[in-house]
Amino acid sequence: MSDFKIAQRETNNVNVLELKGYLDAHTAPKLEEAFQQLLKSDRTRIVVNCRDLSYISSAGLGVFMAFIEDVREKSGDIKLTNMSTKVYNVFDLLGFPLLYEIFKDESEAVKKFNDKK
Amino acid sequence: MAPARTQSARPAPDSYESHFEHTALFEFSTVINSSLDPQFIFSHILLTIMGKMLATKGLAAIEKASHEFSVEMVKGFPREFVGQMVHVRKLPRSMMDVRKMNSTRYPCAKFFKKIGVRMVLPMFIADKPIGFLAFGERFSKKKLQTREITYLRSLANISATAIEKSRTVEQVQHINRKLDRKIQELNTLFDLSKEYGSLLDAEKLIRLLVFSLLGQIGVNRYIICLRQGSDVRIAASKIDGALPQAELLKTLFKLKTTSLVENLSMPVVQNARDVLVDLKMALVVPMSLQGENKGLMILGEKLSNQPFVETEFEFLSSLANLAIISLENARLFKEAIEKQRMEDELMIAREIQKGLLPNVLPTLKGIDIAATNISSKQVGGDYYDVIPAGAHRYVLAIGDVSGKGTPAALLMASIQASIRALVPLNLSLSELTGRVNDLMCENTGGSKFVTFFWGFVDTEAMTLNYVNAGHNYPYLIHADGSIRRLDKGGMILGIMKTSTPYEEETVQLRAGDLLFLFTDGVSEAMSRESVEYGEERIEALLKSDGGSSAQDIVDLFHKDILRHAGGAQQSDDITMMVIKRE
Repeated sequence: MSDFKIAQRETNNVNVLELKGYLDAHTAPKLEEAFQQLLKSDRTRIVVNCRDLSYISSAGLGVFMAFIEDVREKSGDIKLTNMSTKVYNVFDLLGFPLLYEIFKDESEAVKKFNDKK
Repeated sequence: MAPARTQSARPAPDSYESHFEHTALFEFSTVINSSLDPQFIFSHILLTIMGKMLATKGLAAIEKASHEFSVEMVKGFPREFVGQMVHVRKLPRSMMDVRKMNSTRYPCAKFFKKIGVRMVLPMFIADKPIGFLAFGERFSKKKLQTREITYLRSLANISATAIEKSRTVEQVQHINRKLDRKIQELNTLFDLSKEYGSLLDAEKLIRLLVFSLLGQIGVNRYIICLRQGSDVRIAASKIDGALPQAELLKTLFKLKTTSLVENLSMPVVQNARDVLVDLKMALVVPMSLQGENKGLMILGEKLSNQPFVETEFEFLSSLANLAIISLENARLFKEAIEKQRMEDELMIAREIQKGLLPNVLPTLKGIDIAATNISSKQVGGDYYDVIPAGAHRYVLAIGDVSGKGTPAALLMASIQASIRALVPLNLSLSELTGRVNDLMCENTGGSKFVTFFWGFVDTEAMTLNYVNAGHNYPYLIHADGSIRRLDKGGMILGIMKTSTPYEEETVQLRAGDLLFLFTDGVSEAMSRESVEYGEERIEALLKSDGGSSAQDIVDLFHKDILRHAGGAQQSDDITMMVIKRE
């Protein structure tokens, strides 16, 4: 079965989710839960590090869509980083770069959060 | 060989120029073929030729459709020209001075003159027009020489190939992107169908559907509603404003195909259309199963502000149909489980009931006794019993517990346990009944009740001492045909604790006397026409009896009830007991 893991850590007041493996319809609820937890505790400065994400399906992208408004309403954001070309192509194909900030490296995204202050 | 050597050693001035031109052409070709960016190519072409010609204005246009050319870049001409379409019925085959263009052959000449074009340089590949370059007056005003024109034509030819190549690559990229989207759509359907195959939780199914929609289409506002019988239920939604009324959404179920909200034209959906327009919804996708519309996905505008396209309709339809099949399966599965659970529970109730009712009735001296219980599908709470209670005493009991299924069967079991425990106490029947009632009230807290008739038969004295706690009055039919109803007693059991003692009565059983005890399953047995069996029919049948045995009478009733029911399913247990003094 497809394997998917989320590791969560905090760095410079930013919550980093590290995604690993396959994010598809089967595993999407895991990411949903992770976002729900963050949102519930008002931790809305979120960076999603995709370095070890090997695949993302539309359902996976849908999870980002489902939460982005709520997160931004709480003056936070979801920024994406470290995508492989394959994963980036899917984001690009579905027009995500227009809606989300995507960075080459996690540190840039974290910096962006802290620059804003 | 010698003359050739001489030639190359001292090239004519012509050859110098020729060599220079070849090198320049080669460099030009290398540069414009190194890029696939049309802007770069146009810019380089224009600047090169303008430099060569010493012209201050240049314009590049490419053919978009037959005879229609779009201005892609200008140098020196007004910037507003960019993007304009120029209709050119006929393009000259070679570089041509606009002033020499015959306006009947070249109707575009007028336009060129107006905007200040002096020379037109067509770009062809074989005979296919690719576009043209147009230039203003030369700075030097000098007429171009044949040699220069040939050189410029070569530049135009090289440019034509480079432009065509860049356009082809662009087209391939465009097609590839469309293909990638298609593949992504198929992946989404595949991903979802894989997941749906093992998923039977409707709520989760809907959530994954929503995720796939949001991710694939890039919408963020949606209503997903499902038909439930004749009602419409909103299963998921995210909109700016109040949810539309179910009645309004119902009208949209008339749609057979995916429709843009702005194109909804059926009069019956106009109100719904107005509401959807207010909510900024853009598209309605029916979720159909075997041609029947079982649900709707209503989508808002895309976040990218791009319009919905026809190819997405196909994807959305497939997604909707895939989802509705799984949702329907989930519903059927849940129903089947529920049914199985109920069946199992009824099986337990039936087992309990079977265990409670006596397998074989005791033989009473001088008294013929028979009984039957026909359990209904739902298992009512009927109960009967005959228990030896001393040398020539027997307890007769018949009761009907409120409710059905396992709870009724369990209550019945507790009553049986309490009467079996209380009978040996040597109390009066009135007191015993009071105790049974109190126990029951304590156990159930007044939420359940039992109609109960019981008594002691004394086979020596040939008497029946009974209490009727709200049960259907049993019949006592004397040998002479006169009928008595055994109605002494008190309140049904289980409602409230005993305050007034139960009344008891003792009746004499004479030779040929018949006692008929029954539950309301007998008197209220329904025919197909919903007519109750009724007490008149019981009485009539009892009177018709001659000298048959107790079992014969039970069988006679059984058959007559079945005849009355005519195959109609009975909602209650049918229980009766016949006691006949020999």
